Amino acid sequence: MSKELRVDRMPRTSPDPVVEAYKKNIDRTLLRENLKLTVEERFLKHMELQRFADELRRAGCEARRKQRDQRGQQ
Amino acid sequence: MTDFAGLLKSLASAEVEFILIGGAAAIAHGSSRMTEDVDVVYRRSGENVVNLVQALAGKNPYLRGAPPGLPFSWDEETIQRGLNFTLTTDSGAIDLFAEIPGGGTYDDLLPHCVELSLFGVVCLCIDAPTLIRVKRAAGRPKDLEAIAEIESLLAEEDD
Repeated sequence: MSKELRVDRMPRTSPDPVVEAYKKNIDRTLLRENLKLTVEERFLKHMELQRFADELRRAGCEARRKQRDQRGQQ
Repeated sequence: MTDFAGLLKSLASAEVEFILIGGAAAIAHGSSRMTEDVDVVYRRSGENVVNLVQALAGKNPYLRGAPPGLPFSWDEETIQRGLNFTLTTDSGAIDLFAEIPGGGTYDDLLPHCVELSLFGVVCLCIDAPTLIRVKRAAGRPKDLEAIAEIESLLAEEDD
């Protein structure tokens, strides 16, 4: 008789120590602010953050390029 | 930047049967974590595949990360031959799943959804407990961090 070896991914019912450790670092004040918004406002805020992140990336890229150019001139 | 509004409007106005999952669903539930793409589970019926093709056809969908010039046609045959698609479009990145670990198909997820009204359309979104279950099944380190946040959100709502 053969035995079937199975690994099932069952939903965890007990707290996951890793998840619990991450929870200690979660800024609940940000979550409370988000919960005050409508779902649409949450997405609009996220898109605004994405725009900000894109602008930061662009500015960082430009700054690094300028730095390289300055080093090249020295 | 991902045009969340544009992608959701396109899917909804083409009457695509889909469920929002992943980071965008977490945002809907109040997450403050950034995400760059829209993840959806789509129903794999013939009619829905037609609608899905129509919804994204005007946005130049292409396989994300694939070298340019590969022969890729966004049509019903392509979708029928595959299951999951990670795409880049003119409105940003979108991942289409026929089935997900821990959640199953569109029909499996249907009882575990909430209805969202946003940007003038109505769409389905995976509920927070099921999102946790799906993220647990995915089991990536970043998912454990996301689970911690979603569980904190549920605790905030309970308080």
